[in-house]
Amino acid sequence: MTTAAAEIEDGLGTLAGTGKLLRFYLRRTRIFLIGWLGGMFAFSALMAVSLPELYPDAAARAEGAALLDTPAMRFMTGPSQYIDAYGESVGAMFAHQILMWSLAVTGVMFILLVTRLTRADEETSRSEVVRSLPVGRRADLAAALLLSLIAAVALGALITLSVMGLEGTESSQAVLYGSTFTATGISFAAITAVCSQLAAYSSTANGLAFAVLGFAFLMAGAGYAEGSWLSWLSPIGWPELTYVYTPEQRWWPLVFAAAVSAALAWLAFALVAKRDFGAGMLTTRPGRAFAKPGLRSATALTFRLTKGMLWTAVISMLLLGLAYGSVIGSADQFLDSMSETQQEVFTRGSSAPPEDSFAVTVTQVQAYIALIFALLVIGRARKEETGGRGELLGSSPVARSGWPGSYFVAAMVNGTVGTLVGGLTLALIGAASLGWDTFGKLTLASLNYLPAVWVVIAAAFALLGWVPRFGALRWLLWLYVFVIGYFGSIIEGMPEWVGKGSPFKHVAEYPLEDMDWPAVAALTAVAAGLAILGYVGIRRRDLHFS
Amino acid sequence: MNAVIRTEDLVKRFGHVTALDHLNLEVSQGETHGFLGPNGAGKSTTIRVLLGMLRSDEGRAELFGADPWKHAAELHRRLAYVPGDVALWPGLSGGETIDLLGRLRGGIDKAKRDELLERFDLDPRKKGRSYSKGNRQKVALVAAFAADVDLLLLDEPTSGLDPLMGAVFNECVKEASAQGRTVLLSSHIMSEVEALCDRVSIIRKGVIAESGSLAEMRHFSRSRLRATLKNPVRGLEDHDGVHGLKTDGLDVECDVDTAALDDVLAQLAVAGVAALTCEPPSLEQIFLRFYGDELAASGVTNGEGNGS
Repeated sequence: MTTAAAEIEDGLGTLAGTGKLLRFYLRRTRIFLIGWLGGMFAFSALMAVSLPELYPDAAARAEGAALLDTPAMRFMTGPSQYIDAYGESVGAMFAHQILMWSLAVTGVMFILLVTRLTRADEETSRSEVVRSLPVGRRADLAAALLLSLIAAVALGALITLSVMGLEGTESSQAVLYGSTFTATGISFAAITAVCSQLAAYSSTANGLAFAVLGFAFLMAGAGYAEGSWLSWLSPIGWPELTYVYTPEQRWWPLVFAAAVSAALAWLAFALVAKRDFGAGMLTTRPGRAFAKPGLRSATALTFRLTKGMLWTAVISMLLLGLAYGSVIGSADQFLDSMSETQQEVFTRGSSAPPEDSFAVTVTQVQAYIALIFALLVIGRARKEETGGRGELLGSSPVARSGWPGSYFVAAMVNGTVGTLVGGLTLALIGAASLGWDTFGKLTLASLNYLPAVWVVIAAAFALLGWVPRFGALRWLLWLYVFVIGYFGSIIEGMPEWVGKGSPFKHVAEYPLEDMDWPAVAALTAVAAGLAILGYVGIRRRDLHFS
Repeated sequence: MNAVIRTEDLVKRFGHVTALDHLNLEVSQGETHGFLGPNGAGKSTTIRVLLGMLRSDEGRAELFGADPWKHAAELHRRLAYVPGDVALWPGLSGGETIDLLGRLRGGIDKAKRDELLERFDLDPRKKGRSYSKGNRQKVALVAAFAADVDLLLLDEPTSGLDPLMGAVFNECVKEASAQGRTVLLSSHIMSEVEALCDRVSIIRKGVIAESGSLAEMRHFSRSRLRATLKNPVRGLEDHDGVHGLKTDGLDVECDVDTAALDDVLAQLAVAGVAALTCEPPSLEQIFLRFYGDELAASGVTNGEGNGS
C-alpha cells in the first residue's frame, strides 16, 4: 500500500495530501507573501513614526479631533469612540486615521492570495495535474486556507511589532491592534474561498470578493458616520469596533469575526465537495450572440474595455471630493491643528484666506490621484498589445492612430472626467459650508490643473510610442510630479530647476494667485505636441506580441 | 500572373538575432501557397512583416504591389489573418468578436457568418475567456472566412482543431480558392498542405530553402521502389541513382533518384518483374530532407527521406 493510500485509509479522506500541498503553496507564494507582508509592515512602521508628528501635543490632537468629527470624515476613517479618545491616546488617533484603509488593503491581499491558489489554479488546469495525484478533493482548499491562516498570523505579528513604539501605549493594545489585521485576513480568506466555489473564473471570483470588500467598506463607513449598527454587517467593521487604544477597548468583536469566518470556511468545504472539478456553483451568463451596433471601431472597443477603469476613477474621485470638500469648509480650524511643517505644505507660506491655500493643495492632490487612473489606461494599451489580442486588431484595417492610438483618447477622457468629478464634488461640498459664491472659485481651482494632467498623460503616451518596453517610466514621471508638487516647497536645498520639469509647477496657484491663462494655453500646446509625438512613435515602431 | 505577395531580400533583425535573412517569397494571385518550416524558422515573422506589424530592416515586401508598412490599414481591408494562437478579449463573446472584426473590415455578411458558425459548430454566446484553444481558433477562422477579402493569411490556423474541424477547414480553404482568393497557409500538417496547396515554400533559418509546385519538388527527390523480380538483378548497387538498396532473394527495395528512374526500371525489366510498387516522396519526406542535418544534430538519423 502506498503512503497516500494509507493516509486515505487512516481517515484523512478528502483532505489527503494537505500537508504536502501546503508546503508547495508556501513555496509558490513566497514572493507574494514577502512583498505584501514586508510592504504592510514597512508602511505601518513608517506611519507609526510619522503620524504622531502631525500633532505636537494632546491639546492639538483634541483640537484636530473636533474637526474630524463630521459624518463625512467618520465615513472614511472610523467611529467617534476613537475621535473622543484623541486627546488621551496617540494610539487612538493612529488607529482612527489608518486602520480602516489598512484593513481594506489587508482584504485585497487575502482576496488575491486565495483566488490565485484556488480558482485561478483550477481554471488554468494547473490543479488538474495535482488532483490526478493521490490528493483529496478538499485538500487544495484546505491547504490554501491554512496558508492564509499562517499569513494572517504573520501579518498580525508584524503589525504588532510595528506599533510597539507608539508613545504611551501598552503592548497588550499593540497585540490587539495587530490581531485586527489577522482577523480581517482570515475573514477575507474565508469569503474568497466561498467566492471561488461560486464562480467558475478567477476574474469573476475576484470580482465577487471585491464586491464584498466594497460593500464591507461602505457598510462600515455608513455605520461610523451615523453611529449605527450598519458597521456590524462589515468584515472590515468588526475589527475596528474593538475600539483598540481607546478606553472602551474590547476583544470580543474579533471572536465574532472568527466565528463568521469559520462558518464561511465550512460552507466553502461543503460546496467544494458538491461540485464538479472546474465548474462553479453559479451558472455563467451567456454573452450576446451579436455585437451591439455601437461596437464598430477600434476606438469603440477601447472604450468598452476601459469602461471599468472609468467607473473606478469616477467613484474614487467622488469619494475623494466628498472628503476634501467636507474638510475645506473648515479649513481654518484644520490648519490650526497642524504642526508647523504641515502648515507650510498646506499654506505654501502665504497668508491669504486658508481655504484658498487649501484649495490649491487639495485640487492638486486630486489631479495627481486622477492621473493614476489615466496612466493605468495607458498601461492597458500595452497589455492589449503584448497579450496577443493586438494581433487580431493589428491585422484589421485600423490605422495605428485607431489602435493602439485610441488608448490615448480613452486615457484623456478618463483623466479629464476624473479631475472634473473630483473638482465639482469638492466645490459642491465646500461651497455648501463656505457659501455658494465660492463655488466658481473652487471649480476653477480644479480645472486649472487639467492642462498639466494632459501633459503627463500625453508624455506617458509618447513613452508608449517610443520606448514601449520601458512604459513603466510613466510611474516614475508620476512620482516625480507628485513629489515636486507636494513636497517641493519643503525639500531644503533643492535647486529651482529640478522642479521646472513638472507641468504642475507652471500652473498659477489659483485662487492664491490670479489665473495664468497664457500658461494654460502653453501647457495645452505642450500636451498636444507630446500627443503628436506619441502618435508618430506608435506609427513607426514594431508592434510586439508575446 | 500578378504576385499578391512578393518579398525581395527581406531582412528582419531582433537585436542580434536575424529572423529573416534575405528572404524571397512570391505568391501569385489565386494561388494557395503552403509555407513550411519548423518552429522559429521565421514563418510568423514573415507574415507579420507582410501585415505591417513589423518593419523590415532591409529589402522589400509587397502586398498587392504596395508597401505593407506604409499602407497597412488600407491593405488590411483586402485580407484576413488567423494567428496560430488566438487570444480573445475575456469579456467579449465569440459573436461580438466576430462582428467587431467584420465591421472593422467594413461589414459582415450575416448569412455567411451564421453558416460558418454552423459548420464549425461554434457557440457565439460564450465569453472569450471560456473558450478552449480550439474554439478560440474557430472564432478567428469564422471571422476570416466570413470576410469578403482577396487574401487569407493563415498562420498554423488548425492547431488545436480536431480532425472533423480540420476537414471543415480544408473545405473552406478550397471554397475560398475556388472563389479566386489567394491563400498563404503556414502549417505543420503535411497532409493539409498536400491536399490544399498548389505551390509550397520551405523556409529555413530565415531564408527560403526551396519553393515550387509539389510536382517540381518531387522531381528533385527520391521515390521509394519495391519490386519482386523473376530473375536476380545485378549492378543496381553500383548505380549512382540508387540508395539504401536491400535485396532479399528476388525481393528488391530501394530509393531511386527521380532522374535515374527510367534507367533503373529498364534494368529491372531485363530481369523480369513479377510485382512493382513505386511511391513518390511525400511532402514530409521532402521537408525532412531539407532538415536532415538538423535532425542528425538532435540525434535522429534517417533524415534522408527514406520514409518509414
